[in-house]
Amino acid sequence: MEKIKLEFDRIHAEIGKFYDKKTWHFMTLNGVALDENTLEVQWLFAKYESGEIVALYTVVDYGQTLPDISDIIPSAVISQREMVDMFGINVQSSEKGLYLDGDSKDHPLRKERS
Amino acid sequence: MSTTTKAVDMQIPLGAQHISLLEPVKFTFTTQNEKIVDVGSDVGFVHRGVEHACSSKFEFKQVGFVVARICGLCAITHSMCYTAGVEKLLDAQVTQKAKYLRTLLIELDRIHSHMLCLSHTCENAGFEAMFMSLMGDREPVMGLQEAITGNRVQFDYITIGGVTREFDAQTAQKIIQVLGQTQKKIEGYIEEFQNNWSLSKKFEGIGALSPEGAYEYNAIGPLARACGLQVDVRNGLDYLPYKEVGFTTITQTGGDIHARNMVRLYEILNSIKMCRNIVEGLPEGEIQTKVRGKPQGEVITRLEAPRGELMYYLKGENKKVLDRVRIKTPTFATIPAMIEIFKGQDYADAPAILASFDPCLSCTAK
Amino acid sequence: MFKLKNFRKRSLWILHYNAGSCNGCDIEILACLGPTYDLERFGVLNRGNPKQSDMLLITGPVTYRSRERVVELFTQMPEPKVVVAVGSCTCTGGVFSGMYNVEDGVDKYIPVDVYIPGCAATPEYIIDGVLKGLELLEHKSKEIVKPKKLFKKLSFHKDHIDRRGIAGKVGENDGKD
Repeated sequence: MEKIKLEFDRIHAEIGKFYDKKTWHFMTLNGVALDENTLEVQWLFAKYESGEIVALYTVVDYGQTLPDISDIIPSAVISQREMVDMFGINVQSSEKGLYLDGDSKDHPLRKERS
Repeated sequence: MSTTTKAVDMQIPLGAQHISLLEPVKFTFTTQNEKIVDVGSDVGFVHRGVEHACSSKFEFKQVGFVVARICGLCAITHSMCYTAGVEKLLDAQVTQKAKYLRTLLIELDRIHSHMLCLSHTCENAGFEAMFMSLMGDREPVMGLQEAITGNRVQFDYITIGGVTREFDAQTAQKIIQVLGQTQKKIEGYIEEFQNNWSLSKKFEGIGALSPEGAYEYNAIGPLARACGLQVDVRNGLDYLPYKEVGFTTITQTGGDIHARNMVRLYEILNSIKMCRNIVEGLPEGEIQTKVRGKPQGEVITRLEAPRGELMYYLKGENKKVLDRVRIKTPTFATIPAMIEIFKGQDYADAPAILASFDPCLSCTAK
Repeated sequence: MFKLKNFRKRSLWILHYNAGSCNGCDIEILACLGPTYDLERFGVLNRGNPKQSDMLLITGPVTYRSRERVVELFTQMPEPKVVVAVGSCTCTGGVFSGMYNVEDGVDKYIPVDVYIPGCAATPEYIIDGVLKGLELLEHKSKEIVKPKKLFKKLSFHKDHIDRRGIAGKVGENDGKD
């Protein structure tokens, strides 16, 4: 697994430059809570032919708002909604309510909960 | 009387409880004169919180059995994918025999899962007799799973370091015999699905996805292979011996319900061939090796479940409890593609199209 | 005259709802309805309509979002009805007990008549459980007609039910059928 770090303000542009729909298969959006305040967000891609896996990642805190990449990768919509539910982080044009209630105050996968 | 018809948007819900659904999922179709123009979905009915429990309540040795309970149909694929990840983190070696036995069970599981999906598609298209016939022919395969592992659905067969049981010569003979019978039946079904009017012509062109759309929406599994994409994780797998046992990627063109059915049928034939090769060429050796240590580092493993690519991301910090378990299930990733396919179809076809995706909502919501 | 309770014994209609199960028990219920185990030989049919069903088969530990649906389906079913909990996690929560979105068993919300253990419950167990539920259903049907037996025919007084007249007749019909 190869990891490439992205600058926070250039996430949308970098993914747009990286992603080619016939070469890369977008697997999912993944979040890993590092400590109480910071979160590592990974966009996971696999190559169609060789199965090589690349993770584009960035480290954010819970106050920041992640950009919406569904104009580049339409199937990212559902992963983004899951991120909003699970970590309580804001993602552009994604709202809470995929698994939890829309007004729930719970963030199940944050560090402070476990 | 004026003949002008004004298109009126009509909202029709399907679910959460519906006769054509095995599981609770809610689709809200916005239709204009029978044609679906927009789809809303609610998939959260089965959310239990397995990811959280795996990284807080259960130790890494137990997690393999917990993640199997995410989905009853592809339980073994879940536990295999997780176990492969942990074994990579622990740097454990598994004997060749254990690898062969794992592959055997995964393929048997694929056979019965595909047969269930086909029978369900037939039932939703109004072909009750075919449903009964396929369910009846599925039972011997379930019997094989029971003979090998001791349970029909939740096997708990794969553990870290190997498998729990092996079978004797008598069972091996039974496996070969049942596989032979099933192969004959499946060949009959292929004939039936291709030539029977209500199974072939009725399904052709319904719920179609173009190859471009498949790339656009990241389609996986039978959905993508029915469009002609060579997408199968089993191709380049390093922890299971798929190349040695005779695996081939099955693709079809058309991308409609018919093509999906044919992909599933030919995949069953391929799985039967692989199972036979495994039983006949089973290597000698132990089935379980001792594994020591605690998981450290991060790893991504992938495996082809009956519905498509399954992915596990594991992160351990040298503790008994893993730091993060991320499960990406096949149906979860295909929901945007599903919604795209529904648009422009007749509402009356919706249950049959839905069944042809073989959706697994307990996977989706975890 | 229809004797509904006599027919119900041989044509039980079931309603199946998945309240967060792993699908394991659901495919076993499907297998029961298939030709090998053939639950249909007892007249059992799977119908999706709660208003026509006599028995509710529940699988799964009841998740947060599905609990309302479970209660809703239960209340929509006409009396007499029987609830069968299929699988270990439906009975107690099983492996899912304690997870944040799980309610640990269906009997917190609706009364359960038959518990079927097993992960996943085998078809043999499910058949046994359904037949046990059928016995209970017969018993419940008898209980339901008891008040009618007690009062025989309702008497009316100026288009209103004559409660005093009925009360006077209680016990009159004891011993007779």
